[in-house]
Amino acid sequence: MMFRAPFSSRAAQLRALTDEALMERVDHADALAFEVIFDRHGGAAFSLAYRMCGRRSTAEDIVQETFLSLWRRGGRYERARGTVRSWVLGAVHNKATDWFRHHTATSGRDMSDDEALAELTAPDLTDREAERRDEARQIRGALGRLPTEQRRVIELAYFGGFTHSEIADMLELPAGTVKGRMRLGLIKLRLSLGDLTTAAGAVR
Amino acid sequence: MNCGDGAAYVLGALEPDEADEFRRHLDRCATCGAEVAGMGPVADALLIAVPQYRPPAGLRRRVLRTVRAESRRKQPARRRAPALAGALALALVGLVIAIALHGSAGVKVLHARVLDSTATADVRLTGGHAELIVRHLPAPSEGRIYEVWLERPGARPAPTTALFSVTASGAADVGVPGPLTGTSEIVVTQEPAGGSRVPTSEPVIVAPTG
Repeated sequence: MMFRAPFSSRAAQLRALTDEALMERVDHADALAFEVIFDRHGGAAFSLAYRMCGRRSTAEDIVQETFLSLWRRGGRYERARGTVRSWVLGAVHNKATDWFRHHTATSGRDMSDDEALAELTAPDLTDREAERRDEARQIRGALGRLPTEQRRVIELAYFGGFTHSEIADMLELPAGTVKGRMRLGLIKLRLSLGDLTTAAGAVR
Repeated sequence: MNCGDGAAYVLGALEPDEADEFRRHLDRCATCGAEVAGMGPVADALLIAVPQYRPPAGLRRRVLRTVRAESRRKQPARRRAPALAGALALALVGLVIAIALHGSAGVKVLHARVLDSTATADVRLTGGHAELIVRHLPAPSEGRIYEVWLERPGARPAPTTALFSVTASGAADVGVPGPLTGTSEIVVTQEPAGGSRVPTSEPVIVAPTG
């Protein structure tokens, strides 16, 4: 688009900055810097929300709310919680969990009416994105290698928003067993991920 | 008795009262403290272990449109000038394109400020008349309706006959009655069904008229 041309070199400069440097600009209401933040983390945020809610419209609402709250906070986002990415994903996770607690009782999850979503494919990714996707794949692999009964309770709790007693009812297991499987699963994941968890915890 | 709840806590699987109790337990139990500290990063890592999708283009557009509009309001006047010049240039381009396409008067589309962060609103100006294009606006509360007002500098908002609700998806295209001469803004408030003569609630949409 012709009227975007004068901004393109500035956009390229911004894309070279770290999230922290970008957030300092966001503090001064720099919309273009925020655009770069959205492009870096919008996909992971949307993917998590979609995985958890299974509805495109709800996932979009959650992601929109999260990013607008990040924008309005500017540099005041909780740096203590780590990186911009962990803040964003943590916020999405909380909002999606809240959404479950209020909605699953009345409305079943349904992916059938969703339009096809564009899965991220290799040629679209920058190096940093490819690196992140690689991390994501390793983490997914480690989760996949867990014994099914451990993976199942972890996924139900973490992505499904169910409490341990709800899971126990669902799977007809004693409550202690569910908690035990969660514990064994997380300990195994921690061992198999090793350094990757520190890397992923610090994802930029 | 709480030892061993660390994983359920980290995964958010404890009932709220159990989670409170476990937090108190953490203050006293070093073993559980260490376990939770070790499991936290695993849980964080799991947040990216889901199939990755590109965010829908409409979502990106809505977020960034709000961000740009708020950015223009937040920035000091000095820094607004280039943005305004840009917007003006853009409007001019729009005008030229509209004239080229239709050979008639220009159409100008301006973004409106919306209180509800999920909603968007544009105002489409054609030859002194305005149409309000609203998307994703929640339906008015029971027994209430949205009312359109015209603001003139130094005067009270003038009511119009435009009362509207929205479709299930929150959409409405509303013609704004009357000439816009001398007006500065179009305002929408929620009013009792039938409309009001003076606004009884805070604006939900504020749109420029030029």
